[in-house]
Amino acid sequence: MPTIETRRVVITGMGAVSPQGVGAEALWQGLREGRSAIGPLRHKDGDALRVKVAAQVPDSFDPATGIDERTLPLLDRTSEFALHAAREAIAHSGIDFARDGLGQRTAVVVGTGVGGELTQDEQSRRLYAEKATRTHPLTIVRLMTNASASHISIAWGLRGPTYAVASACASANHAIIQAAQMIRYGMTDVAVTGGTEACLSYGALRAWEAMRVLSDDTCRPFSANRRGLVLGEGAAIFVLESLEHARARGATILAELAGTGMSADASDIVMPSAEGAASAMRQALEEAGLNPGDVDYINAHGTGTQANDSTETRAIRLAFGEHADKLAVSSTKSMHGHALGASGALELVAAIGALSENVVPPTANLDKPDPACDLDYVPNTAREMPVRAVLSNSFAFGGLNAVLALKRAP
Amino acid sequence: MPEPPARARLLSPATKDPVMTGTTQQQVFEIIAKQAKVDVANVKPESTLKDLGIASLEAIELIFDIEEHFDIHFPEQQGANFDSDTAQSLVDAVQKGLDEKAAGGEGDK
Repeated sequence: MPTIETRRVVITGMGAVSPQGVGAEALWQGLREGRSAIGPLRHKDGDALRVKVAAQVPDSFDPATGIDERTLPLLDRTSEFALHAAREAIAHSGIDFARDGLGQRTAVVVGTGVGGELTQDEQSRRLYAEKATRTHPLTIVRLMTNASASHISIAWGLRGPTYAVASACASANHAIIQAAQMIRYGMTDVAVTGGTEACLSYGALRAWEAMRVLSDDTCRPFSANRRGLVLGEGAAIFVLESLEHARARGATILAELAGTGMSADASDIVMPSAEGAASAMRQALEEAGLNPGDVDYINAHGTGTQANDSTETRAIRLAFGEHADKLAVSSTKSMHGHALGASGALELVAAIGALSENVVPPTANLDKPDPACDLDYVPNTAREMPVRAVLSNSFAFGGLNAVLALKRAP
Repeated sequence: MPEPPARARLLSPATKDPVMTGTTQQQVFEIIAKQAKVDVANVKPESTLKDLGIASLEAIELIFDIEEHFDIHFPEQQGANFDSDTAQSLVDAVQKGLDEKAAGGEGDK
């Protein structure tokens, strides 16, 4: 097989809208301070629902700020989140897409689990409950899964490969990996990527209730008294570039996206497999040229369900061997909830924060050790420690695994 | 009016299906047997769902079928797998749900 020349990929901008507030800095500071944004569910049908808690973007988020009034009616909440996060990321990177026709070649890949869930729900209610015979004429353009990617492309004139990636709870990581691979293999120099989700519709909440995986109080990853996951929402978007491109324009590099790993369990539709997850982690280490001993922190998938947390613990032991006991592992879902297709993106903000400030965000609500979860999960309080390299895990229903390996900015 | 789907018909409390008119235990065992695809004679009070080959999502589906049939709601059972539940424990849970409903509880929500 011929050797393919590959390029290094770096992250030069980030933006977020999350339950911790608007902005990547608000998210990182919340996580660093160990503050959980999980609270009582605010929902117009809340009285009827059994689910009582969620991690929601605060009402202070104003989708209209800075968005063209002709664009606003086109947007589902997923696209609102994504556009705001993209604007912050692009400004943060200092990149100028108009210069030298850069926008012509720039890719946009955005992960989302289901796309315009709220639009779908609202229009279905009109049809089935209110017996309307028409849906809103913009229903299709609002709910289509690719809407977020398309709106980012339109807003900044980005004409490279643009599409959505969907793999349930791993969507954001798969999208970021796709964008990174395009840069690594020379298809493009720059990509805008991340994940977005706005999934707290009545129908979706009912569906999650029926699955019996939701916690009724809070999210307690790796704790023996964990009672399930807590749904979240939000978006995080990043600007990825080849190292040469970032250096040539004098960009500030936040971190190197050094390696990626993807695998499928090919077993159960919901029960995770330690082997599948470990395989994705090993691939990410290998592509990054990292030995297990080079990694200091893992941002875990850590949903707070019985099955995930013990299986992920076993997977980390499989992939890291003896070094597993020296790792700091934390689940920031304890603080930003599980934003499904956006989770990996929100967690990448945490991974970048850890690398740049040498602080590992904690696992909140971990108050009862579980013998089946026997790693160092940095309970409740952030830890200052040298962080040389980080893995960020995302594992999806359907048995799909996607792992990012990050190094400090070169 | 279109025919309701087969499942809804079978599980409707108003069903005329003779197997669904026995005692609570008989009804629960029938639903378990159907999910496990075994003869109802093989469902014993002490059989766990796992013994009967019902695991993971199938167990969640079974709970849903039982809830729909009796029009009750099982309390959340965090931190545990239904797989280890016995057939009798499901009968007891149903009886509890029916008693609460009769006592004028908030019912299924």
